[in-house]
Amino acid sequence: MEALKINGVEKQFPAGQLPSTVAKLLEALDIEGATAAAEIDGEIIDREKFAETKLRNGQSIELVRFVGGG
Amino acid sequence: MDKLVIAGKKFSSRLLVGTGKFASSEVMAEALEKSGAEIVTVALRRVDIENKNDDTLRAIDVKKYLLLPNTSGARDAEEAVRLAKLARAATGINWVKLEVTPDPYYLLPDPVETLKAAEILVKDGFIVLPYINADPILAKKLEDAGTATVMPLASPIGSNQGLKTRAALEIIIEQANVPVVVDAGLGLPSHAAEAMEMGADAVLINTAIATAAEPGEMAAAFKLAVEAGRMAYKAGAAAASKRASASSPLTGFLRNAQKEE
Repeated sequence: MEALKINGVEKQFPAGQLPSTVAKLLEALDIEGATAAAEIDGEIIDREKFAETKLRNGQSIELVRFVGGG
Repeated sequence: MDKLVIAGKKFSSRLLVGTGKFASSEVMAEALEKSGAEIVTVALRRVDIENKNDDTLRAIDVKKYLLLPNTSGARDAEEAVRLAKLARAATGINWVKLEVTPDPYYLLPDPVETLKAAEILVKDGFIVLPYINADPILAKKLEDAGTATVMPLASPIGSNQGLKTRAALEIIIEQANVPVVVDAGLGLPSHAAEAMEMGADAVLINTAIATAAEPGEMAAAFKLAVEAGRMAYKAGAAAASKRASASSPLTGFLRNAQKEE
């Protein structure tokens, strides 16, 4: 098993099925990438780099987006 | 109405609207439309992996409105800077409504952390609109640090209490060289009109619109109030006095001449 910590919750993937990039992860989670922001181990990833940013077993990922607010 | 200019960008509307607390995206979209607002605030939160349908941004036409991400939830400067950078990464927008509110009960902004975050963000190229208590000295320091506006509160966020900080707001307005946006606590169109009559450059309304029985109608009412208040300010208020001053001539009354003395 491999795992990523996504928004504080550990998500496991069968060996070899860990999404290879941020874009692939968003796709797997069915999240619209155009309005999301991602942080991997505390480092912000530019949206244009979602497709090229590789993911590794054990990384901690924050996925955020806009909600209503004042 | 004269234009509002923030960081060199011109706006026809002096009403900024927050997007929180609306019953639905449809109700929000209608209220934004009727408010005439050109700047709308949004918050940044973790994606709810289990409920991905709640995507506010989809209901907001980003070609029509300037999205102003806030740093709500930040308890210190470090968290606020992180949120601002994430917001910029999500949209490419470098405008940020800076709010640092460590106290969950009154949600009052932390002046020390707000100033610290503002200095960092301005240096990093952000257009910073800081939410602050109505503190004239802090407003000055933020302006000196390069913020695009100051956004003093009228009363605690979402309290609808109106202009409880009036005397301090008047000093801020008198001294400011950047637009003063009165934010938080304005509960009625009359509160907004009063702030504008005092010379505020704009107001930001969320709760008073979003939680009204008819948010669309209330948004329209705020639009009129803000316009009326601005027009009144520009027209120059007549002086107030303690004693009456007759509006009608005090001569030519239909009574005996002897009694007219």
